Amino acid sequence: MSVERLTLGRVTHIVGERLQGRVSNRHLALLGVSFVGFFLILPIIFLIPESLNLGSSTPFESYRRAMDGIYIDAFVRSFIFGLATTAVTLALAYLLAYYLTFAAKRVRIAMTLIIVPLWIAYIIRYFGILLFLSPAGPFASFTGIGPGLLFTSPAVIIGLANVYLPFAVLPLYNSLNTINKELIDASRVLGANKWWTIVKVIFPLSLPGLVAAGLIVFILAAGSFLGPAVLGGPRQSMIANVIANAFLENFNIQFASALAIIYTVLLVGFLIAFNTVFDLQEVLEDI
Amino acid sequence: MLEVEGFTKYYGDLCAVDDLSFRIEEGEFVTLLGPSGCGKSTTLHAIAGLVEPTEGRIRLRGDNVTDLPPEKRNIGMAFQSTALFPHMTVRENIAYGLKMHGYSKADIEDRVEESLTLVDMPEHGEHKPGELSGGQQQRVSLARALAYEPDILLLDEPLTGLDRVLQEEMRSWLRRIQLEIGVTTLYVTHDQEDALSMSDKVVVLRNGRAEQIGSPESIYESPESPFVAEFVGKSTQFTGEVDETDGKAVVYNDTKTIALPDGAPSPGTDVTVYVRPEDIKVSTEPVGSTNEFPGTVLNISNLGNRAEMAIELANGTTALAHTGRFPDFGVGDDVCLRFDANRVIVL
Amino acid sequence: MSATTQRLEGLTFQGIVALMFAFLLLPVVIVVLTSFTTQTFPAIPQEGFSLEWYRQLLQDEKLLGALTVSLIVATGSAILSAIVGTIAAVGFVRSTFPYKQQISTVMLLPMIISPVITGIALVRYFSTIQLSSGYPALILGHTVLSLPYVFLLVRSELLTFNEDLERASRVLGADPATTFRLVTGPIISPAILAGGFIAFVVSFGEFTATQFLISPDTSTVPVVIYTMLRTGLTPTINALSVVLIIVMVVVALSSRRLAS
Repeated sequence: MSVERLTLGRVTHIVGERLQGRVSNRHLALLGVSFVGFFLILPIIFLIPESLNLGSSTPFESYRRAMDGIYIDAFVRSFIFGLATTAVTLALAYLLAYYLTFAAKRVRIAMTLIIVPLWIAYIIRYFGILLFLSPAGPFASFTGIGPGLLFTSPAVIIGLANVYLPFAVLPLYNSLNTINKELIDASRVLGANKWWTIVKVIFPLSLPGLVAAGLIVFILAAGSFLGPAVLGGPRQSMIANVIANAFLENFNIQFASALAIIYTVLLVGFLIAFNTVFDLQEVLEDI
Repeated sequence: MLEVEGFTKYYGDLCAVDDLSFRIEEGEFVTLLGPSGCGKSTTLHAIAGLVEPTEGRIRLRGDNVTDLPPEKRNIGMAFQSTALFPHMTVRENIAYGLKMHGYSKADIEDRVEESLTLVDMPEHGEHKPGELSGGQQQRVSLARALAYEPDILLLDEPLTGLDRVLQEEMRSWLRRIQLEIGVTTLYVTHDQEDALSMSDKVVVLRNGRAEQIGSPESIYESPESPFVAEFVGKSTQFTGEVDETDGKAVVYNDTKTIALPDGAPSPGTDVTVYVRPEDIKVSTEPVGSTNEFPGTVLNISNLGNRAEMAIELANGTTALAHTGRFPDFGVGDDVCLRFDANRVIVL
Repeated sequence: MSATTQRLEGLTFQGIVALMFAFLLLPVVIVVLTSFTTQTFPAIPQEGFSLEWYRQLLQDEKLLGALTVSLIVATGSAILSAIVGTIAAVGFVRSTFPYKQQISTVMLLPMIISPVITGIALVRYFSTIQLSSGYPALILGHTVLSLPYVFLLVRSELLTFNEDLERASRVLGADPATTFRLVTGPIISPAILAGGFIAFVVSFGEFTATQFLISPDTSTVPVVIYTMLRTGLTPTINALSVVLIIVMVVVALSSRRLAS
């Protein structure tokens, strides 16, 4: 170990001396941005020519096709599922975050329990939900509902909510935790009981966290592939599935690219619209 | 109006308050004074209902409110951090308590205006707390606490963090308002100037127990324990034994004696003698009175309206004396100080 | 509100919270439990526990191969991601330029854009620049995907770093490079390592973009699991999943130890 450190030390020393004065911190930031630029932004931009049927009389063929009912459906469904998942997840997350902030005796342990699922791959968690809802699973035996729930929209939304729940709890907890405790005392002394205090003081002050959590969950849910793939049927296909399908099953790179570009444009548009109402920068601070 | 009976609070094994009892009469301004950790905030929070007593009872207007939650106690409270709701305007902050106490919409409007006028902030109704200065926030905090005419007003070190000039202004302003409205008030602070200047009665707390309860004058002039004598006000201290021969003096440093007032402890007792700085007179030449000692000036601090001199006496004690501003002495001068035997505190 | 109603309210609340924790953790619990089933279908073991599926796992070369690939890719991308992420974090925290806040959002793009898009864009891009699929594509792709996590972790550590330490080092005679090596580096290295470990975990479990980046003989564990899910549920999938879980949890826990 010490031998390695010696050589590492000399290397950094030499590199450092060479770079000193020539490489500033701005350059470092630039390097980071360039990496993402080269390996994400550029590839996505390259999809644009892919999506166009250049050299033929119908360059926008793929885009025209994308306007077909089925694909519009997929976009709309992704939006709606995103909203539904966000609603469910936020409700559950608020309860958990509230518990963590005000009622939990051992916050660290509770917090770990919430973060542990994040360490486990999405695919395994969806697998678990699949098993839970399967005909031979516990859900069927408990409620006798049978296989009816699997491969339906509610199944997908429950799955998405389950998987993204920790992402919503964290910013909400941050927000709730930073509320000055004396504000709550003040509200009580001024005559408000616990419910009034929650409604008029705690909730309004937790809105930043709520907005951040909602944004994260919506974006993740709307763009989810595995959720609908594992837990949904053909009628639960979302954008990600449609795009992947076009690419992997039909080898229609052009069409897949067109759909991908449309998705990206919509996403950026959504974020810009969001920014006008909520100021994205502040929201990002809360993550 | 308020009776605290045997209030005790344990946090696990830690005793924050131990069997504290005191009363506040209607309209009185009482201060809980003590260093940090003495239990004064805990006591205040218990009276508010924010902390549950381990033992003891709290009575408001004769009723036992110990089990009552804060929102049912009809008390007003101003917090150390003002705790003004940042997402509401000044008006909404004040209206909050009124709404919770069942005032009608029209009454709320009137009361909010009255409250704003009371604290001299009639044009600030639409501002948010973040837009106000520290002093203004404290005034709004008070207006909010008093809006619904509570039975008792609790103040948790509201003047901490304000600059000195503002602190003094706020003290007299606060007391004036309190007298005007006549609301029973309990004030918590570690600042003895707050306590002495504003209160009708002071409860000095130390380690969860009441050391002394009395008027500001009696706390200052007649402290009942060394802690109170040292915590409240400055003093010069001499330790020694009461003279065996006539019981009217304290022997310290073998030969020097200090004449004592009547009623001093019996001969042979070990005592500490305290003299307040304003009772010590300094001159260049001895005048020939009792309790006169020579010393050398160590330091002179000009405090604006008076000077505080630190004088080293023969036995090494440092005496503190207050003189008029810009005294004629300089550091290193030999002086004589003297004090009246009747002004001496013996504990 | 009487004391009993308060009690009841408190208990209901606690009950609901407990249910929610159960909701959150149930899927994983089920996957683990059903891996021990005696039946040929992943079901909760009723009659007894069996390690049959783990045995099958150990004999399946394809599955063991996928495990190897995943390990290599995760390690490679974790290292690369830690380096680039740290450089970017240092650069952003320690410099000022117009629109810095907005530009730093770029570093988070891989988290925001659906991994499907990322996968497709990358696979086309790599073929254009003649980067072969399989290991190179996987490692680079996973690096991009885990970059935001490292960036956020190291950035947060740097924001609370007391720069007076560096100033002291300089005054004491050390040049910037040495200062970084002897002062800054050691202090932020737990965060960098933690970031690397998280990058490892992210890579190990990544599926959605990975499905585009694999080549026939380099498949990763999540892809294998998905394929198996498609063809039919057998408890071997569970066994593989449990192995995945163990690896990820162990790495994540070590990361936590380091970060604190």
